[in-house]
Amino acid sequence: MGEYKFSKENLGKVLEALKDYKVYAPQKKADVVRFQELSDPSEITLEFTNTNVPPKEIMFPQTETLFRFKVGGQDIEPRVPEPTDKMLVFGLRPCDARAYSIVDKLWQWDFIDPYVKNRRESSTIVGFACSEPCANCFCTSLGGGPADEENLDAILFDLGEVFYLKTITEKGDEFVQKCGEALESAGDVERKNAQAQGKEAIEKIRRSIEVEGISEKLPGLFNDAIWKEFSSRCLGCGICTYLCPTCHCFDIQDETEALDGRRARMWDTCMFAEYTLHASGHNPRPTRAERTRNRISHKYSYFPEKFGVVACVGCGRCINFCPVNIDILDILGKVKEA
Amino acid sequence: MSEEFEPRVVAFLCNWCSYAGADLAGTSRIHYLPNVRIIRVMCSGRVNPLFLVNALQQGADGVLISGCHPGDCHYLEGNYYARRRFVLMRKLLEHIGVEPERVNMSWVSASEGAKFAEVVEKTVEGVKAVGPMNQFRRRQINW
Amino acid sequence: MVNQEELRNKAKEVLEREDVRRLIGWKRGTYGFEAAPCVIEKPEEAVNLIFDPTCVQNSASFIVLEEKLPVPRGQEPDTRKIAVMVKGCDSRAIVQHIVEKAYDRDDIVILGIPCTGVLDRRKAEKVFGIIEKPAEASTEGDKVIVKVGNEQKEFERSEILMDKCLRCRHPNPVISDILLGEEVEKWADDDFSDVQEFESKSPKDKWSFWEEQFSKCIRCYACRNVCPMCYCIDCVVTKLRPQWTRRSTDISENTVYHIQRAWHLAGRCIECMECERVCPMNIPIMTLNRKMTLEVKQMFDYEPGLDVEAKPLLASYNPQDPEEYIM
Repeated sequence: MGEYKFSKENLGKVLEALKDYKVYAPQKKADVVRFQELSDPSEITLEFTNTNVPPKEIMFPQTETLFRFKVGGQDIEPRVPEPTDKMLVFGLRPCDARAYSIVDKLWQWDFIDPYVKNRRESSTIVGFACSEPCANCFCTSLGGGPADEENLDAILFDLGEVFYLKTITEKGDEFVQKCGEALESAGDVERKNAQAQGKEAIEKIRRSIEVEGISEKLPGLFNDAIWKEFSSRCLGCGICTYLCPTCHCFDIQDETEALDGRRARMWDTCMFAEYTLHASGHNPRPTRAERTRNRISHKYSYFPEKFGVVACVGCGRCINFCPVNIDILDILGKVKEA
Repeated sequence: MSEEFEPRVVAFLCNWCSYAGADLAGTSRIHYLPNVRIIRVMCSGRVNPLFLVNALQQGADGVLISGCHPGDCHYLEGNYYARRRFVLMRKLLEHIGVEPERVNMSWVSASEGAKFAEVVEKTVEGVKAVGPMNQFRRRQINW
Repeated sequence: MVNQEELRNKAKEVLEREDVRRLIGWKRGTYGFEAAPCVIEKPEEAVNLIFDPTCVQNSASFIVLEEKLPVPRGQEPDTRKIAVMVKGCDSRAIVQHIVEKAYDRDDIVILGIPCTGVLDRRKAEKVFGIIEKPAEASTEGDKVIVKVGNEQKEFERSEILMDKCLRCRHPNPVISDILLGEEVEKWADDDFSDVQEFESKSPKDKWSFWEEQFSKCIRCYACRNVCPMCYCIDCVVTKLRPQWTRRSTDISENTVYHIQRAWHLAGRCIECMECERVCPMNIPIMTLNRKMTLEVKQMFDYEPGLDVEAKPLLASYNPQDPEEYIM
């Protein structure tokens, strides 16, 4: 496990050296910063608090072909998840990396999802520590942190004039080998600065919630009237779920074009009314109250019960982007008091 | 030798006037361009503008909607509603970047076989001039 | 500026009426530059209501958002009225709802509030960043004052208010039962110059603009859900039998989704701009809707959301409708 540094001007050089990898990095296109495949190293941007769409879309794309088929025969061309090219996810925040590990527990549970598994195994994750957490971040309440090294292969710190890069796993070391001369060895100064930055960032986190006890409390509140109150202004859109790094529901649909077809999976959201709409017309979650109850309970009660970890990383996107100011911390606070 | 682009035009013809007009063009042996694929509907007012969008998405390069002359609709008012809809849909598609030549409308009565052939020619020439429809065609990317 | 005490008292009075079931208004948010819409049923809760430039959301959407579940046998549905606090733009949504018979005029009690503009969160965040405490705002004459914690800053209207407010033609509610506060003067006229500027581009440029924008779309349907005019129970964009648009997020389906929505809002969009505000990917959705608004105005001399007696645009016709493009 090594420590390196490189100047800001050399970021391009470092990325250019990674020709072996398919690099996914944040880029600003059309007014929005998003993780996309990096074709031109100069387009990367590390000036952001966090992206709108979380990097879960790299491991779990919004629309993905499961297999193709041809009508009229018994031919199914299985799109076998071949070992993918080596991927490098560069510049994601520790909370998003933590989200990968949390949802992995589901992807590798009773049915191992080969598509996600392939991508996870072929990727090297290089995190980017936060120096300025946003107002609604609360990762520290959920066991994470702005400079948390768990779940990362290497971590990058922006120290003003230089970047400090620390490798954590063998995959990290491997990627650093490829960078070669673009990286210099880092010394005590950089390490201390990085550690100080990490500590300061933790102090800068302004919101928190005591998670202890929530998962035990929620089942008792199943029939409570508070859910109606929490959801009275919910629009039933998909923003909180699509932008959540741990949300993972999907729909599978067949699409055909003349005699060709594919089975595709795409993101779905439990906040849509159609999510639980049965073919008979009955809907067991007919109103937004039930759907809000389901979402909060899934994250803070059902998932921890099964997998031992709360399915929320405290990135704050759901709070920042909800158009009607539905605040999960507000809801959880009231759940605790109820 | 390069192949000239042959557009595919989907035509929605109202049963009582335009379809009969097209039929008359056929029985009178009036030659009209083969680029048009006809869909018979009972009235031009039945045509949902989203059909046009769907047609363009599935590979049509242009569309034509044809109905009875205003005042002569078999169902009295259907073509009036259609007229309002398509003028707006044409403007909307124009704002998206779909050339207005792709959305065409005409009034062809049951006795106007020659006019039908003319209308088809005008439509196809217009679409030929703007080229293949590539904007939001379904292209099976990442299939 | 609206007197907050008067507002709360009137709201309490309305809620105490026997024939009113609930009241939709705004209360202070938990953070940031936007208030939280709230639906209250008990008169005591009226103390939380506010009205200031942070009240961005369109309250009329919440009238039609309420799910109407089947009532158990033996019970009667609750047909009491719903009270709504509306700004100028929101009141147009109510008029359009009545025109389309979403509900009757007698089913609602409208508390109209003359509006002096609402904050644009994106503009405010450029100045203050994302703040963890809720901001307070007020207008004084031509200036807007934003208070964040202990910091207070004064702004010109164009620096901090939403673009829609800078060209608002209807700051006063066009329909109301109770008017809270004095009517304000219209600030400016809307010349639709942004639409005309876009119109002047070539088809190729227009398409490459939209291709870039629609590629960002994640089909969260927030634009549709927040829209007061989108209240169909089985919406065409998510219908499965038949399926008009696939759920996959490629450029073709995303474009068709936006065309479908803009088409269904032709002659109905009341320009509250909520769709553009809520989009998490900053897609300029209103460009399409404003084009439709302009065309409808020019071609049919029709403006939705102003006259309760008007007929819906596409459910009516005029024998003299424009038909230059028809062969």
